[in-house]
This record gives sequence, structure tokens and C-alpha cells, in this order.
Amino acid sequence: METGFGWTGKILRVNLTEHKCSIESTHSYAERFIGGIGIGLRIFWDEVSVDVGCFDPENKLILATGPLTGTLAPASGRFELISKSPRTYPKETVTRSGMGGSWGPELKYAGYDALIIEGKSKEWVNLWICNDRVEFRSAKEYVGQDTYSTQVKLRKELDPSAKILCIGPAGEKLSRLAVILSDSTFASGRSGFGAVMGSKKLKAIAVRGTKPLKVFDPNRLIDISTRVRYLSANNPMQEWTTRVLKIEDQKEFINKYRKKNTACFSCPSPCFAHLEVPGAGESASHCANYYYHGAATKFYGHSMERDQAVSDSYVLANRFGLDTFEFRQMIKFLDDLHKKGLIEPQKGLPLDKIGSREFIQKLLYLVSAREGIGDILAEGCARTADQIGGGWDVCSKYFPAYGSADHGAIRKQPGVALLWALDSRCPLIDQHAYSRLSSTYQTEPQPFTLSAERAKSISKQVFGSDMAIDHTTFNKKPEAVIYAQNRSAVINILIVCDWVYPVIQSYATADRMGDTSLESKLLFAVTGHNLTEEELNTVGERIWNLGRAMMVREGRTRDDDTLHESYFAERDGEQAVSKTDFEQAKTVYYKLRGWDKSKGWPTSKKLNEVGLSDIARDLEKEGINLTSC
Amino acid sequence: MSDVLKKNGMTANLEFSEVHFRKRRALAADPKICSGCRTCELICSLGHEGFVDPERARIFIQSNPLKGSFIPMICRQCSDAPCYYACPESAIEIDQGMGIVTIRGDRCTGCRVCEKICLYHAIRFDPEKNSAIKCDFCNGDPQCVKWCPVNALGVVEFGKGVF
Repeated sequence: METGFGWTGKILRVNLTEHKCSIESTHSYAERFIGGIGIGLRIFWDEVSVDVGCFDPENKLILATGPLTGTLAPASGRFELISKSPRTYPKETVTRSGMGGSWGPELKYAGYDALIIEGKSKEWVNLWICNDRVEFRSAKEYVGQDTYSTQVKLRKELDPSAKILCIGPAGEKLSRLAVILSDSTFASGRSGFGAVMGSKKLKAIAVRGTKPLKVFDPNRLIDISTRVRYLSANNPMQEWTTRVLKIEDQKEFINKYRKKNTACFSCPSPCFAHLEVPGAGESASHCANYYYHGAATKFYGHSMERDQAVSDSYVLANRFGLDTFEFRQMIKFLDDLHKKGLIEPQKGLPLDKIGSREFIQKLLYLVSAREGIGDILAEGCARTADQIGGGWDVCSKYFPAYGSADHGAIRKQPGVALLWALDSRCPLIDQHAYSRLSSTYQTEPQPFTLSAERAKSISKQVFGSDMAIDHTTFNKKPEAVIYAQNRSAVINILIVCDWVYPVIQSYATADRMGDTSLESKLLFAVTGHNLTEEELNTVGERIWNLGRAMMVREGRTRDDDTLHESYFAERDGEQAVSKTDFEQAKTVYYKLRGWDKSKGWPTSKKLNEVGLSDIARDLEKEGINLTSC
Repeated sequence: MSDVLKKNGMTANLEFSEVHFRKRRALAADPKICSGCRTCELICSLGHEGFVDPERARIFIQSNPLKGSFIPMICRQCSDAPCYYACPESAIEIDQGMGIVTIRGDRCTGCRVCEKICLYHAIRFDPEKNSAIKCDFCNGDPQCVKWCPVNALGVVEFGKGVF
């Protein structure tokens, strides 16, 4: 297949053990897997065996862009990472993690579609990629530095315009909560890949690219981009992150300290608010960053100190390289443990002062430095709960599955519960396709909400039935979940941001109906690769099946596709997820997917059908007998 | 204005100067609201070169993301354009109608004097063409202004304000 447009055609492989690099072609992957997680999963499947641990030198970190990355296509500034994750619980499994900012496009301008990092360096190194030149530079002076000073120093040392990915002290100490961070807040958060980088003794990857990127049909790209921008105007998701609508108090906080809204590369809806609180540093910030707001308000009331505490909570997390999402639940988890007397008062950590500036500063420091109680907490809340007697009684409330922190209305929306059960990490981060529609409509329309009637008609056109967004039943949810998963795979191979795509609903049309074929049109305009929307959905299905095959290889079965037990019982007045309906819906899901419903494994017929017969053969070779149909 | 030019031994036509001073149009940018998405760079390079390449865009964002600082570097189409007077090859021309300063690629030898003299870092160098490149105002309809998602860019007409 022609990869001259959109793709750069090259993959850079960096071996840290020998400090060597080589170049491979993208051609063999482009047709079947397009890019992003498609390429990443395929390479991982071929090259890393199933028994490799996340911190082993044999583990690989794959950073992959897609054909749309770095082009004019709106919201195309992201790239995806694939590796064995230290974060997933109870087992370390292969998973994905995405990241915005402008590092991905810069990698494309340097001439590479993807970067494979393998091996383990003896000494700490920084990787410097400047077009065709790749250098391994000593990172001795950078060890122990936080992410912000690392970036400032590296830009001074290398190039003021270099785009940098780096880890903070948390990543160096192999904290499972460590992120890879770029700029002030763009992070690969949910999968703990910062620790994978740390285990390879790689402190930072700096890239500078000055090469052009060819586009198949510039005029068509301009036309379709205009249409995307028109349809995604007044995107409520942007309102959600920069103003946190509905939570008046947080809205006030953001409006008070906002310098401006900032965006990822090529994005028309800037969804980060750059906040500067006097006396507490500054950072761009996103909805997940305001996790300490509630606790701090309880402790201080409305005061300047409260604002500084909130600011500390995300600025320090960014600087140390920690995932704010986990801390949102960790604060509640620690509070509960403390109140129930399950942990003793800690020396370095004032547990009786949760909500104060002192507490959050100390907590973040201890976790990133692995000192005192931080050493256990750095393993993540789920693994901490294992070590504390009665820990899971508290923890289960906040961690529904795979050690990922609670996110979305799992108890209220059956569709969201299914999405959670069938993924390998928190699904909502890149599967907003379903929850965006199911959560934003209201019976009484407000500004930036949909009426129930219009939402139902959209649901009928997109998911096939208006029951898909009815939260009282599991009926028709499997269909919607399959759609959301396939489309999330599509956006993760192209790569575009899931906050804009698929454009299911629009606030620019009279009937609020968006246009779901925009991704395939963009792909054609950029690469000349003509796929219809259905064909692109099939590619999405192929990627999802590949991901599932990866899970099967790691020993996942139907029994693992579940939420924590406690979600099937009522708690604190919150409704329970009905276990029988849930299991029935799963059976329907497997049937619709063409998978074996007793094991939850893809059948060999299905894998052949989606063009993954070689994957089916590999599974058979490893002694995993798939049913034929 | 003309006095300054005469003092420096320059031979600008007094009448011409005044005309283009009155009708001058140029880009204007507000760094306070620029979100740093760089869509302007993309549409500029795509429009002028036919491929995507921020390095060959006639506008670029000088960014310090840690401080949330994004400053669009744009050509002011100066009426006393230093690049015009500095060019040893007379490759830079000032349009008499709107006062737009343009570079003639066929005359440019790539000496990069204009790039160095520009106060606003608005002139860049294209090593492949061995020629300087700068904003040509897209024939009066600047695409970057049209595409800026947060309206950080605008067109200013002397005496009339931003529109």
C-alpha cells in the first residue's frame, strides 16, 4: 500500500542496552493496522512474550502516531503508547495509554511514525532525536530533577523548540502511579508507563523535527477540517474541562485564576485551563486535576489557602510525575482507612489534616520518593489494599476493576458498567463515544445539554436503538458498547482525540445529529486510502479483536470481565448493578462480537473474518485452543 | 517618516510612502488568548506549500508551555519595512495598494539578511528553495485569521482598528 502520504513510512527502533538504533518500514503494518495502537499492539504481539514482567529489560515501550497526527485534521495532536503496564491489577497486562500535547506531531516531523524503545540502559540516559540524528546523552545531572526543571534544562541544552517527554522522581523510583509528562500537564497517566521508562533508565525523550509531511489532497483536507470544526463548535466537553460546569465552586476557582485556555496541537477546542494561583505555581489543568478541591474546601472553607492547596495538588503531582486521577480516590481511601482505624498514624503524613496544604504536599512527596507509607502507596491503592487487613472493604468503593480509579456513572448507567468490565484499564478515557451522549442529555434541556427526545433519535441512528441510552435496563447496551469500542479503536489508530470524535452529536445542527463518517473522510484526504465508514469500523473491530487476543494470551477469561463484587450490591443509597442482567448482557455481547460465550475468547472464525488469521495461528501455537465458531 | 528615510540616505518616494501608510493593512495577534494549537502554522504551510510543515509557515508560535505563554510571530507589514531596505538584491517589494511586503523568490539569493534584520522574527528561511519566506497576506484574505479557533488573530487597518 502507498504510504507516501500521511505516514512518514519509518519506524525508529532504539535499543537502550547497546545504545544503538535502527530504522524499519511502516509499510507492512499500515494497511492492516493503520497506526497508533494498531501498530503498537501488533509489534508487541510479535516481539514480547507473555511472561515478560513490566520492569524487565525485555519489555518494550512503543510510542506510535497515526496517519492523521500532525496534519491539519482537527484534534490530531495525540499519540498512543503501548507497553506492559505496571498499573493493571491484579496482573500486569499489556495496555494502551494516550497523550496529547505536541510531542507526537514533532516525531512525525522528525520523520518517524513510531518509536520502539527496548532494552535497559546501564546509566541514566536522555534520548535526543533531531531529524535523522539520534543521540544517547548522559542524564546523570537530571536524576532526581522534577519534570518541569528537566524540560527547562533540556531545552537549554539541546534546542529551545524541542518537544520533550520526561519522567519525574516518581518514575525513577518505579512508582506504579508514575506518568510520562510533556509540557506542563500533558501526560500518559492511567497505565503507569512512567515507571516503565524509569525501569529502562530513560529520563527523557527530546524530539525536534523539521521535515515536511505530505498530504494526499490538501483542498479536501481543508474542506473536511472546516466541516469538523463547524460540527464540533460549542463542544460541551471543552466546557466541562475548562469550566467544570455543574460544580459552581470549581467553576469559580477556575475563572478566578485562569490565564487562558490552552490546547493540544491542531485542536480547535482548547480544553485545558492554564491556571496560576499566587504563591503556588502554575500549570495547565484539566478536570481530573481538581481532585483536592472538595477536601480542601472542607478544611479551609473559601480562602486563599484553599486555592493554594488545590493548586499544589496538581502542580506538585505534575512536577513529581504522578497521576492525579489515582489521587482523587486515594485521598478518600486514606481518609476512610484513617477513620476506621485501619492504619496507624504515620510519622511523615498528617492523616488528621486531610484537606490541608501540608497533607497534600507531604503525600505527593512521600509517594514520589517512596519514603515511609509512600513506599506502599506508590504501588497504587489496589495493591496497598492487599497489604492492609480489611483494605479492600474500603478500596472496593473507589476501584471497580483492574486497579483503575472509579470514573463515570458505573452504577447508574448499565452501558458504562459493561464498558468497564470489558476493557483492560479505565475505559472512559478514550471511549467517550457512548458516555458523551448518554450523560449529556437531560429531560429539561439547559444550555449545552441535549433534550432526551433528540438524544434518543441520535441513539437510534448511531447505536441502532433508542434503548441504548435508557439507563434502566441492559437491553441494547451490548450493541452500543461494541460501537463505542470499535470507534475508540478507530480514533486510536488514526490518531484523533476522543473528545471530538466520533462526532455523534453536534450543537451546530438543528436536530443535534453529527456526522460519524468524518474520520474515514479525513483518512482519505490525508492518505488517499479510500475506506468507507463501515470499512473503517471493521478495521476498528480488527484492532479490538487483536487487543482481546492479547488479553486471552495473558489468561483472561469471561470470569475476569467483571466489576468488583461490591458494585453488585447497594451501597450508601447508591443503586446496585444487577448481576443477572449484567451476565446476560455479557452473553449477548460475546454473541454479537462472534466470540465464544463461555470463555469470552474470540473464535478462530471471527479472527479469520477480521483478517487476523495469523494471530489465531499464534494462539493455537501457544496452546490456546480457540473454538472454531 | 520621510525625513527619517532621507537622513539615512534612502530614496523612498514621499508620495508613495504616504499613500501606503494610510491604507496599510496587517495581521494583529493577541498573545493573551492564543491557545498554542498552531493551527495557523498548519493552514499557512498547507496553503502556501501544499504540504504540512510548521517550519515553512509564514507565521509561527513562540511558545513556553510551562508558563502558558504562546506568542504568534507575525509580519506587521511595516511601512518603513527594514527588510525592504536591507535586501541587497531588491527581492523585497512593497505593494502600492495595501502596503503588503512580499519577497520575490526568483530574485532572492538566500543571504538571510532580511531574516536577521526583522524585529518580529517574521521572516524565515527555506533551505530547500534557498530563499527567504514571509507572510504575503494571502491576497488580502489571511487564512490564519480565518482558521484561528480562539480568534487570537485579526486584520488591522490603519485608522480603522481590528476587524
